[in-house]
Amino acid sequence: MYTLGIDIGSASSKAVILADGLRPVAGQAIQAGTGSSGPKQAVERALDEAKLTLSDIAASVATGYGRFTCELTDRQVSEISCHARGVSHQLPSARLVIDIGGQDAKVIRLDAQGAVWQFLMNEKCAAGTGRFLEVMSRVLEISLREMGAYHDRSSRPAAVSSTCTVFAESEVISLLAAGAAKPDIIAGIHRSVAVKVCGLASRVGWEDDIAMSGGVARNQGVVKALEAELGRPIKITPEPQLAGALGAALYAFDQYQSKNKTGG
Amino acid sequence: MSQIRELLDCFKKVATCPGKIVREYREKTGKGAVGCFPVYTPEEIPHAAGMLPVGMWGGETTLRLAPSALPSFACSIMQSITELQLQGVYDSLVAVIVSSPCDTLKAMGQKWRRQVPCIQFAHSRNTKIDAAADYTRREYQSIRARLEAACATTISDEAIQTSVRIYNEHRQVMREFSGLAASHPDLVNPIDRHMVMKSAFFMRKENHTVLVKALNGLLAKAAKKPWEGVKIIVSGIMLEPVSVLEVFKQNQIAVVGDDLAQESRQYRVDAPEGADPLDSLARQWLSMYGCSLIPDPEKSRFSLLRSLVEQRGADGIVLCVMKFCEPEEFDYPPMKAYMEKNGINLLQIEIDQQIQSVEQIRTRIQSFAEILRAQRARRASIAQL
Ligand code: SF4
Repeated sequence: MYTLGIDIGSASSKAVILADGLRPVAGQAIQAGTGSSGPKQAVERALDEAKLTLSDIAASVATGYGRFTCELTDRQVSEISCHARGVSHQLPSARLVIDIGGQDAKVIRLDAQGAVWQFLMNEKCAAGTGRFLEVMSRVLEISLREMGAYHDRSSRPAAVSSTCTVFAESEVISLLAAGAAKPDIIAGIHRSVAVKVCGLASRVGWEDDIAMSGGVARNQGVVKALEAELGRPIKITPEPQLAGALGAALYAFDQYQSKNKTGG
Repeated sequence: MSQIRELLDCFKKVATCPGKIVREYREKTGKGAVGCFPVYTPEEIPHAAGMLPVGMWGGETTLRLAPSALPSFACSIMQSITELQLQGVYDSLVAVIVSSPCDTLKAMGQKWRRQVPCIQFAHSRNTKIDAAADYTRREYQSIRARLEAACATTISDEAIQTSVRIYNEHRQVMREFSGLAASHPDLVNPIDRHMVMKSAFFMRKENHTVLVKALNGLLAKAAKKPWEGVKIIVSGIMLEPVSVLEVFKQNQIAVVGDDLAQESRQYRVDAPEGADPLDSLARQWLSMYGCSLIPDPEKSRFSLLRSLVEQRGADGIVLCVMKFCEPEEFDYPPMKAYMEKNGINLLQIEIDQQIQSVEQIRTRIQSFAEILRAQRARRASIAQL
């Protein structure tokens, strides 16, 4: 029995297919988000990967910013619940989940059972999110993928503010004009993201295991900056970008089970 | 059922067309309307002058002129009021009355740029000593004198006394409505509930009382049905725009009680009746409690919310913090700590009258509803064991 989770973000679309509510048999991410062909492509590729067709899917759930626009399912669960569920499934001891996606950053505090207890999201500005890093990568002419390696070469991280993407962008341009080294600017950018997220985390509080999901978790520079700010190691889920879609597939499995129980 | 719907639609019509209501009142009675700024403005005084006291709680608007008068960090509601004022929306009022319980409101008298007379006053900040009643009474006396000049009429003690009685009855009826709406979330959705509360700002209270009494009568007779969704209490200055309430409705969230300045806070305490009606009104101010705008070292707002959650069987609280409202923002950290200690779920959302999109709020509210549902399911499964 297969269930499908679709996570439609602002910048990318992800799909996970789960066998028997336990074993992921496919996971795909497409760099095109809500309003594009991304969601459809992600689902098609996941079905191909699992060698299945849509009729093999017993239940599906959509999550993410574009969850209400998804034509493949009529059930939506918020990204807070889905990310928490996806992370908890893979890292059951996690008590704080940090998820940095395309346009928002979330911190989710979990209780002893791994259920969502409290959560916070960034305010309207894109500071501290994937979009912020994208803007900076464009200004610096360094791809997102390379930013982690540059971070490691920094000896003196530059000061980059964390309140506003537009201000931070002009600061980075000034730093470049002043001849600052790119590794130092990048380490400063990562620290700026970490400070922003740490501000959110301190509002919900943390004491135990911290886990991170979302595409930005693949940037080791951000992870290291966050670890430095929080003073604790951070565990990364195996495929951080797919955590939300995995959570959605788990919710779809619940839905399938409760339907079968009630005979509905 | 259809009678209830008809009445609810009636409240909605009033709440959504204040301009028309003010015009009609003027045509019918030859008297005008007096704008009352939030909060705790003694509406009884303009009411006693035969005027229509109307609540000024801003509205959805784009800020074009307001930045010439207010800094960007002034609260969202005063930004809207200033914008509407500068656009001339309030020019047909006879006068406006402005209270001063916070730093932003304190400055609003100076920011009033139109011809309409602006009557600013201040409540006593210390409410625990006798001099506070004298002081507040004198402020109310000054409102009366300035209003008499603006309306070219006299306002007698007897007339204020009658208004005090009318307002006390209205408060009573509104408290009853809040309880009845909580028992019938299937009949009164969050938008309906808000419209009943809001319409009170655009009707003479004696007329509003008649309508709410009729609604209460019907609700009291209606069968109670079990509610599958979640139940919450809302707290803060106000819960608008309607698009946010729409999100509550879509997520099957019932508002079973509130501690909003625009809604139940103003109905919490009656004015004691006495020979001197201005003294009665001053004493009413002295007995108010549980509000971020009233100095209260005990922070009784938190325990009050806790009992409301218990009484109404709510699953949690949504705190609606008006953007850049300092008194409410200061209350949030201790409130969060208190609710955490007492195991009460609390979600904070930001209310912005200039909001363009509710997507972020939608995610927060949906997630909160999911948390509450999951907790309830867990409690039910433990109970089954
Ligand atoms: S919303 Fe807050 S800051 Fe604004 S006027 Fe009301 S109390 Fe003052």
